[in-house]
Amino acid sequence: MSKKIKQIAIYGKGGIGKSTTTSNISAALVEAGCKVLQFGCDPKSDSTNTLRDGKYIPTVLDLLREKPKVDAHDAIFQGFKGVYCVEAGGPAPGVGCAGRGIITAVELLKQQNIFEELDLDYVIFDVLGDVVCGGFAVPIREGIAEHVFTVSSSDFMAVYAANNLMKGIKKYSNSGGALFGGIIANSINSPYQQSIIEDFAQQTGTQVVEYVPRSITVTQSELSGRTTIEAQPKSKQADVYRSLARRIHEHTESRVPTPLEIDDLREWSAKWADQLLAMESGEVRGVQSNI
Amino acid sequence: MKKINLNTTVVESREQRLGTIVAWDGKASELSGASQYSNGCGSGKGCSLCEMRGPFSQGSVCSEQMVECQAGHIRDAVLVQHSPIGCALGQVDYNSLYRNGLAMRNLPVENLRVTCTNLIESDMVFGGANRLAQSIQDVFDRYNPKAIFISTSCATAIIGDDIDGIASEFEDRLGIPVIPLHCEGFRSKHWSTGFDSTQHGILRQIVRKNPKKQEDLVNVINLWGSDVFTPMLAELNLRVNYVVDLATIDDLAQLSEAACTVGFCYTLSSYLAAGLEQQFGVPEIKAPQPYGFAGTDAWIREIGRVTNREELAERYITKEHARIKPKLKELKEKLKGFKGFVATGSAYAHGLITVLRELGIETNASLVFHHDPVYDGGDKRQDSLGFLIENYGDVASFSVSNRQQYQFYALLQRTNPDFILIRHNGLAPLASRLGIPAAPLGDEHVAVGYEGMINLGETILDILAHRKFHKDLSHHVKLPYKKWWLEQADPYILAKEPDLIEKN
Repeated sequence: MSKKIKQIAIYGKGGIGKSTTTSNISAALVEAGCKVLQFGCDPKSDSTNTLRDGKYIPTVLDLLREKPKVDAHDAIFQGFKGVYCVEAGGPAPGVGCAGRGIITAVELLKQQNIFEELDLDYVIFDVLGDVVCGGFAVPIREGIAEHVFTVSSSDFMAVYAANNLMKGIKKYSNSGGALFGGIIANSINSPYQQSIIEDFAQQTGTQVVEYVPRSITVTQSELSGRTTIEAQPKSKQADVYRSLARRIHEHTESRVPTPLEIDDLREWSAKWADQLLAMESGEVRGVQSNI
Repeated sequence: MKKINLNTTVVESREQRLGTIVAWDGKASELSGASQYSNGCGSGKGCSLCEMRGPFSQGSVCSEQMVECQAGHIRDAVLVQHSPIGCALGQVDYNSLYRNGLAMRNLPVENLRVTCTNLIESDMVFGGANRLAQSIQDVFDRYNPKAIFISTSCATAIIGDDIDGIASEFEDRLGIPVIPLHCEGFRSKHWSTGFDSTQHGILRQIVRKNPKKQEDLVNVINLWGSDVFTPMLAELNLRVNYVVDLATIDDLAQLSEAACTVGFCYTLSSYLAAGLEQQFGVPEIKAPQPYGFAGTDAWIREIGRVTNREELAERYITKEHARIKPKLKELKEKLKGFKGFVATGSAYAHGLITVLRELGIETNASLVFHHDPVYDGGDKRQDSLGFLIENYGDVASFSVSNRQQYQFYALLQRTNPDFILIRHNGLAPLASRLGIPAAPLGDEHVAVGYEGMINLGETILDILAHRKFHKDLSHHVKLPYKKWWLEQADPYILAKEPDLIEKN
């Protein structure tokens, strides 16, 4: 029997810091001695850039476009400390079907037994956020990832996307799909932001795995084409990512989430909006007023 | 060769596994030389056999239809087509083939059980999962099948319906195998990937994992042809397990219990036979296909060797040679001077050409619908094209064309045969309109084995008898092509010079 590969999918709204977080998790895991493959599932195909000095790699779908017979090995590149990087790729904006692109790319690697062949400990799928169609749900279906995490800020749009993801997971949970591991709370710098995301986790029967503060270190590292772990290994921020990676490493039991229905979600966000307004106008003071 | 991978529900396409091509023109020896069995250019990493690419395609078949004609023809199973209704068009044809096949094998004649989820606009937008779930439940309640197959469609693959998830959910709930077959037309350029898809599902979910060996059982992978294998293999005290068409789920489950696996055509049997050998230890017979003396002799001998029946095999070979040769001599006299043309699936054509040459019929041209540079087993002894060339000589005009009528016209003009052998009858009317009679080999076993040479010879005499009808027809019809194409000598000119379309 070959060893069990831990397969994880990380979802989140576009621009929320999903690829940054995922790449830092991958970097922290390889630093700790694990064999990791990061699989970018976004037509922008820049998920793994910071693991490879900011450079783009040819995508699985690029190969498919060029050759009648694709050897999936040609789409695998190594980066920071040997981490394996794959980008699904996809069509240009406004044409074709990006969801089908993800299905095709994931299938191709599975058919060629790549994950087993590389003797991996981790496969981490970095997936574009809103689960808008069946294609984007592929990594959470039966036989692919077991644990799904979402990167979310306390911003309501990000929370909506996280809630949508939970709906997808709940739907597929009956047919052997992945379960929900937790929320990675990103860009959390103030107690009220923490309260919002904590409350959301509670409402949906889930947990927050880590609070990642917004930090200039991350931006500086990204601009140099590297992860924080690589560029600023001694920074406090790097330790936050290491702690996050450790929690994911130790995580074993995922659960079926209880996403909010649309009306409940609206009501929930309205309640928070009222509270924030009250804080701004000075009606509410205390820890939560630290905006 | 890479091993067949049963870990995923989706089969790898033929072009991806074998480097299959659908257009080529030249001598058979050139194609064989470029193929993987000869370590030709088609065997290198990242390189595939050179293929001609035309500017358009005039006709083809869908992989999903191959699933219909295999999974849809299993006697105690049901096939649910998860698709818009257009994909269900094939049900009409495949019902007639199913009924004819049952009659040919003396089995109770019945209609096939294929049902379609009939997806509509709202299903495309909101997902078709509920309809599929309902259809699975409905066919279970209505037919009480031993297994339910689900064929996918382009539409469901694009919207990404989770068919695998629904299948495993119902497998648990109903307690029978529920098997997703991923066979979208766009997935492969050649329809034979549909055969592989069905066979992949059978290997994954039906074939018995802890087999009790039946040392006298031989798996025969075929379609719906007449029962010619039983008498042949009975000479070696062997019993036949016909699959996939007209089989029962139990016949399929016992595939892993057999002594060996054979087929009538490597195009069809390649995937299942290799999968049975690699995953279940059932040897695939590594021999030429059973056509003509040389092929049938080698085939029988190899079965004899694998099943420890060498003596019986030799006795049968000697007996059949003595019986067939005088009959063959008579037929050769009658067929002298005629020129034949074979237009069929790939490996099958290799077999038919050998039989024509045994009959002394000049066969310098043929058309196959695709070419596999290697089969899944990867064994040189299965190189059916190489075997043909080595034992029966080259074929001067050996064309690969994916059922393109306009090319077929020019091919026939180039070679001007007296008759054609064909299985996919969509091309036969064109030959008729050119005054050429066609033998539509609806029974794919007609040319198999020693008796096959006689059968095919007699079939050809039958069709030659109504040549006049076709000649008369040709005088009264007009073909839909421009003068430029009617006079065109090179069937592949448009692939070489696509600009000619605009100019002519």
